[in-house]
This record gives sequence, structure tokens and C-alpha cells, in this order.
Amino acid sequence: MPLDPTASMPVKIKKVSPAELMIVWKDGHESHYPSPVLRRECPCASCRDEMTGARILLPMHVPDNLEMRGVHIVGQYALQFDWADGHHTGIFSFDLLRALCPCSYCRTQ
Amino acid sequence: MAFWNKGESGPSEDQVLGVLKKVLDPDLRKDIVTLGFIRNLKIENGNVKFDLNLTTPACPVKDQMRDQAVALIKGVPGVSSVDVNMTAEVRQSPQSDKTSLKGVRNIIAVGSGKGGVGKSTIAVNIAASLGAAGARVGLLDADIYGPTTPIMLGTDAAPQSNGSRIVPSRAAGLKFMSMGLIAKADQPLIWRGPMATKALQQCLFDVDWGELDYLVIDLPPGTGDVHLTLAQSIPLTGAVIVSTPQDVGWRISMKTLRMFQQTRVPILGIVENMSYYICPHCNEKDYIFGQSGGSRAADQLGIPFLGEVPLDIAIRSQSDAGSPLVLHQPNSPSAKVLREIAEKVAAQVSIRSFEAPVLEVE
Repeated sequence: MPLDPTASMPVKIKKVSPAELMIVWKDGHESHYPSPVLRRECPCASCRDEMTGARILLPMHVPDNLEMRGVHIVGQYALQFDWADGHHTGIFSFDLLRALCPCSYCRTQ
Repeated sequence: MAFWNKGESGPSEDQVLGVLKKVLDPDLRKDIVTLGFIRNLKIENGNVKFDLNLTTPACPVKDQMRDQAVALIKGVPGVSSVDVNMTAEVRQSPQSDKTSLKGVRNIIAVGSGKGGVGKSTIAVNIAASLGAAGARVGLLDADIYGPTTPIMLGTDAAPQSNGSRIVPSRAAGLKFMSMGLIAKADQPLIWRGPMATKALQQCLFDVDWGELDYLVIDLPPGTGDVHLTLAQSIPLTGAVIVSTPQDVGWRISMKTLRMFQQTRVPILGIVENMSYYICPHCNEKDYIFGQSGGSRAADQLGIPFLGEVPLDIAIRSQSDAGSPLVLHQPNSPSAKVLREIAEKVAAQVSIRSFEAPVLEVE
């Protein structure tokens, strides 16, 4: 979880292509998410066990070329994606998205 | 004008704007010139005339700002008189592009932890105060379990429809819609989550709200389907939390407050209801449920404290009679307290509309 509360506040959200989402955060950090990486982390109850948090959707079930069809803002705290496999029920809070930033700096934190 | 004082043709616009820059809006923390509040400035023969266009007609410090502006301009050499016309234009807070809510500038949710704290009473009186100040206000009663606004506004006529759109009822200067109008008065709405979700979305998106400065939403108590649907369906400008002073009330209210924080809904402030009882015989204040629980909680959380509403027979009887106290007895002490709360809410909304980022997917 980011220490600075403004760190998980997006200032720019861009669907760069069906294969990539970009978010620029209030602290200036830029995150680039490949679509399959996000899809594999879907927090919804059919992809993750609600009680234990254990994975139900296994990473191998998501092909590396999976596309993002649409991106919607949920209220003012999260994003929801329409994936090419028909799935759309995951609500990704900005806190979760910031924690999922795949850049090498965030991965080593 | 005599020929020898040619060139001293009264004060200049720059001089007037220069002194007006000293007047600060205490909420927005900028001067009224930078904020663009000064409109239609005209200077003629020593008379200075302009509109002071505020961000809400319910501005708690409008008289103070006007008086300060007038005093400063009168100090400019050559000024003989000042005419200030007070106007207001409620700013649009960041909104999603839900076409039916396009004309609604700000959406304020009123919530509580437990039931029975007077949430609806506060919501109705805030809405009626904003309306009485000159704002265009809507009230949506989203309390499916205990819809009370039809009683408090004295009308339970079923809403009319206009083709596929629901036309909101009108009462107390407000456009209003209640989930209670969907069912008969003595019939409960026995709904599972998906029904409540659908009904709320209908009340938001299928009602012809038109142009509104404020839409006040009276929530059910707690943190349930209705709350989550609301936080997910629309960007709320902010939420007001109502509680009674005792500890047990505040502990539950914290849960509602945390839910709003987790879904990034700004907290506009905390209202403490039933703060004290004024004895009709000796006029002593009795703090039946303990004292200052609300202001302490607000302090600890760094959230604005909006006010203490007394246990007052007049508030209760006016609610039952279907005419909000702030309209029916506007000069009573309790009405004054409620009006000040509404003004503070309006001020917080103005702050949010100026600060909040607009989020969109590119």
C-alpha cells in the first residue's frame, strides 16, 4: 500500500491500446499495465475467493494477447474493464491499481 | 467637471479591483477578484457598481464579504457611492456523462451509521434551506426501509410520468422523489439487494431532475447495497454524516464514514443531532446523550463540524406536519442552527467543486 495518500490518486487515465493501460498518478509516477497482467489480478469474487483471497482464476488461464475492450470509471474510486474474454465484473480500486504497478521500481518496493 | 481637474475623472477600474483583491473568500482562500466573482463593474461619476457573483446563494459569509468590499471601495479617492448586487452561480462539480443527471451540478449524500438519528430531518431541512436561499434543489429519499420525506414534506402523491421519464413531485420549494412513493404508505418494500440497486438507479437516472444546483440524497442507515450502488454509479460531490452525541452512535457512524472514504467520497462534515434539550420551564440546556461527541469526533478525523441541532419539539412537530421548520418558523433558534448547517454544507461543496479533479478515460 502506498504511504502517501495522494499516491493512489490518478490525474490521467489512458487506454493506450487494447494491450495497454496507462495511469499518471498525482505524485508524478507513471504506470503502464499490459492488459493480461491486469486481467490476471482481477479482484472479483469469481476470480478470487472472497474469504481466503486464494486465486480461482489462474494466471495460465489468461492468454498473453488478451485485449481490453473498454475502461469505465466507477464513482470516483476505481476502474472497471471490459475484457475480450467477456469478463467485466472486477472493480479495481485506485489503491489496488497503484499497488499493482508493474514497473521495476514498484516491484522492488 | 471643471477644466482644472481634468484627468482626475474619478477612480479607475484598476484602483477598484486593486482594493477588492484584499477581500478573501475564507473558504476558497483566494481573493474575490482572482476567483472571478466581480462581474459587470461600472464606474460613473464616483459611483462604483458591480455584481458580486458567489459560488452559492447560501454563502455563510456573503454579508461579511459585501461589507468589506464596500468599506474598501469607499476608501478609494473619488468614490462617492457603491452599489453591490449580490448574485450566485453554483459551480458544477466533476460529473460523469450520465445524460439525465447532466443538469445536476452537485450531489450531496446524507448518511448515518445507525437509524433514528434524524438523518431525514436534517436532509429535508438542509435541502429546504438551500432552496429558500435561492438555489435550485432536489431531494431524493433513497431510504427504502423507512422512507419518511413524503411525510416531512406533506405529500404522498404518486409521481407522474412523462413518457419514459418520471416527473419529480414538488413540495417546500423542492423537486423530490422518494422510494416511499413507489409503494403504498403502510406497505414495506421487501427487496433484496438487486431490487434496491435497480430502484435507486431508476430514481437517479429515470427521473427528470432538470437543472439543479444541489441534489440532496437521504440514504438508509448503515452501509448497504444502496450506498455502494450510489458510490459506484455517480461521482458524489460529498457526504454529510449525521449522528447523535452518545458514543454508541459515533462508533457506528465511523463505519459509514470509512465506507465513504474507501470509495473516495469526500466527507463534507459531521452534524450532531439531538445534542441537547432546552427545558421549557427553566431554559437550561440538558445534554441528555452526553456533550460534544460530534465535535470531538470531527476534530480527531480532521473533518468539518457542521453544527449541533437541539432536541426541539418544534422540529419534530413540523416534520410530522409536513412543513420543514426552516420554512415554517424561519426565525426560531433551531431553524437558525439548521440554516447555518446548510450554509456550511454549501461552502464545503463550493470548496470541493473548485478542488476536485475531473477524471476521465482518454
